[in-house]
Amino acid sequence: MAAISSVANPALQAGCLRTRGGGAVRRARWWGLRGKEGILFLLGLLLVWQFISTGISFAGRYLFPSPVVTFKTLWISLPELFTGTLHSFQILVPSMALAVLLGIVWGLLVGTTPALNRMFSPFARFASPVPPTIYIPYAIALLPTFRTAAGFVVFVGVFWPVFLNTVTGAASMPQRYRDNARILGLGKLEYLWRVVLPASLPHIFSGISVGLVFAFIMLTVAELFGASSGLGRFIQLYADYADYPRMVAGIIYTGVIVLLSMELLEQIKKRLLFWQK
Amino acid sequence: MTGTPNHLPAVAAGSGLNVEALRFAYSGTPILLDIDLSIAEGEFVCLLGPSGCGKTTLLRLLAGLEAANSGALSWNGAPITGPSLERGVVFQDYSLFPWMTLTQNITLALKKSHPEMSARWRQNLAEEYLEMVGLAASARQHPSTLSGGMQQRGAIARTLALGSPVLLMDEPFGALDPINRAKLQDLVLDVWSNPRKTVVFVTHDVEEAIYLADRVVMLGSAPGRIIQELRIPFTRPRVRRALVGSPEFIFLREQIDERFRQDILQRIDADTVMAGGGEGI
Repeated sequence: MAAISSVANPALQAGCLRTRGGGAVRRARWWGLRGKEGILFLLGLLLVWQFISTGISFAGRYLFPSPVVTFKTLWISLPELFTGTLHSFQILVPSMALAVLLGIVWGLLVGTTPALNRMFSPFARFASPVPPTIYIPYAIALLPTFRTAAGFVVFVGVFWPVFLNTVTGAASMPQRYRDNARILGLGKLEYLWRVVLPASLPHIFSGISVGLVFAFIMLTVAELFGASSGLGRFIQLYADYADYPRMVAGIIYTGVIVLLSMELLEQIKKRLLFWQK
Repeated sequence: MTGTPNHLPAVAAGSGLNVEALRFAYSGTPILLDIDLSIAEGEFVCLLGPSGCGKTTLLRLLAGLEAANSGALSWNGAPITGPSLERGVVFQDYSLFPWMTLTQNITLALKKSHPEMSARWRQNLAEEYLEMVGLAASARQHPSTLSGGMQQRGAIARTLALGSPVLLMDEPFGALDPINRAKLQDLVLDVWSNPRKTVVFVTHDVEEAIYLADRVVMLGSAPGRIIQELRIPFTRPRVRRALVGSPEFIFLREQIDERFRQDILQRIDADTVMAGGGEGI
């Protein structure tokens, strides 16, 4: 990825130079693994799991399918899980995109306009800490379809962290950027788009990272309630059938999907924030 | 006033930069006190003083980035009420936006100074300005990949692109090594004379002030006020090798140092008197 970008876009060369020569480290970091300790811990975890599921005998053992059984089930269930992922993402991606877009736009406006800040802050202070899972039953009752209800709660879960971080980013922007914009005589729109937005991006990305985790929580929880398909639905369905190998496989699969999504976001962030020292 | 052929000595009232009875306080603490200063159009003035003397604040007031508590500032008779493209500013560092390439930084400035021209035209002109400051090869680079000296060259190019008749420079070379500093001083003298601009240059470096300025305005601290103004009589173009270290240069430098020493001693005496008065109570 880095190699391609440095050829295609010389502007990104600086960002790539800094990471060059660290290929192994980069790959390890990619999986969240740093050095052999992480791998050893995962192996240890597998051993403990294997031991619990096969080594000892107790009444609830059927709740602990062995690693081998689980990964076989995971392999068999992949097509079904993949379809579920597609259905989940059809709700997740548009809702999250809308929440990120509105969170950034509204956040930039509120963060740079004292009057808007005074108007919106009291409401934001009250509404933003409400755990968005609380809205799920009401959203399902209120909105015509499950998709719109799930989309709504995902939106709420993503909007607040993105919005709040954007406001912080815009409000804590170094004075020198504002001075420079004033010296150049930039108009409000240009100032927001070419100065405040890029300067706030580090904060905005922290907001999106938090929002992404929230989005998965909101969606899977919502799917437990009333979906006909999707990742959360998959787990709920096989829990109802007491098919624990499939359920655990679904949990592991969901973990991997969240990890991959986070990594994708991290890569986008690296590209957009190449200019940071 | 020996040998200053480039000067515009007689100034019509209302032309150039004018500061009258200026006062500026920051949350009750006086920063600048009763500043009166006239800078002729085309003059190169250095504001010289120790840290905390308010020289940067004075420059920000001239730029229109701060508003005075009382007094008046004007450029060619028009009061200064806010920033304007007529007065370009180069800050000590970070004048450029780090997320844009050098060219993009300059085309953004050109968009304001030449709104009627095409993007292609602005691009070409940006590259010309970069070439003028010796950065043609780095046009597509981002500031964080450049040295401090190159970044300041870029900042100067951007200010030139604004086409401002007034250049305000806030210790622009304070963070540079001596060699780059000297090179950039000569660059500033170059761009100042062609076409001729009015330059206000803030520095705490006595030699830099003498080398660059037509006139050095010395500010004392706590609160900031003008303690002396000194005309620099050297002819232009100035030759660094011949000038720096010449008896005349050293004489001026010592005169300036001595004046600052006196001011410091006066301030200490004044504080002692006040403290002495306090002890009696």
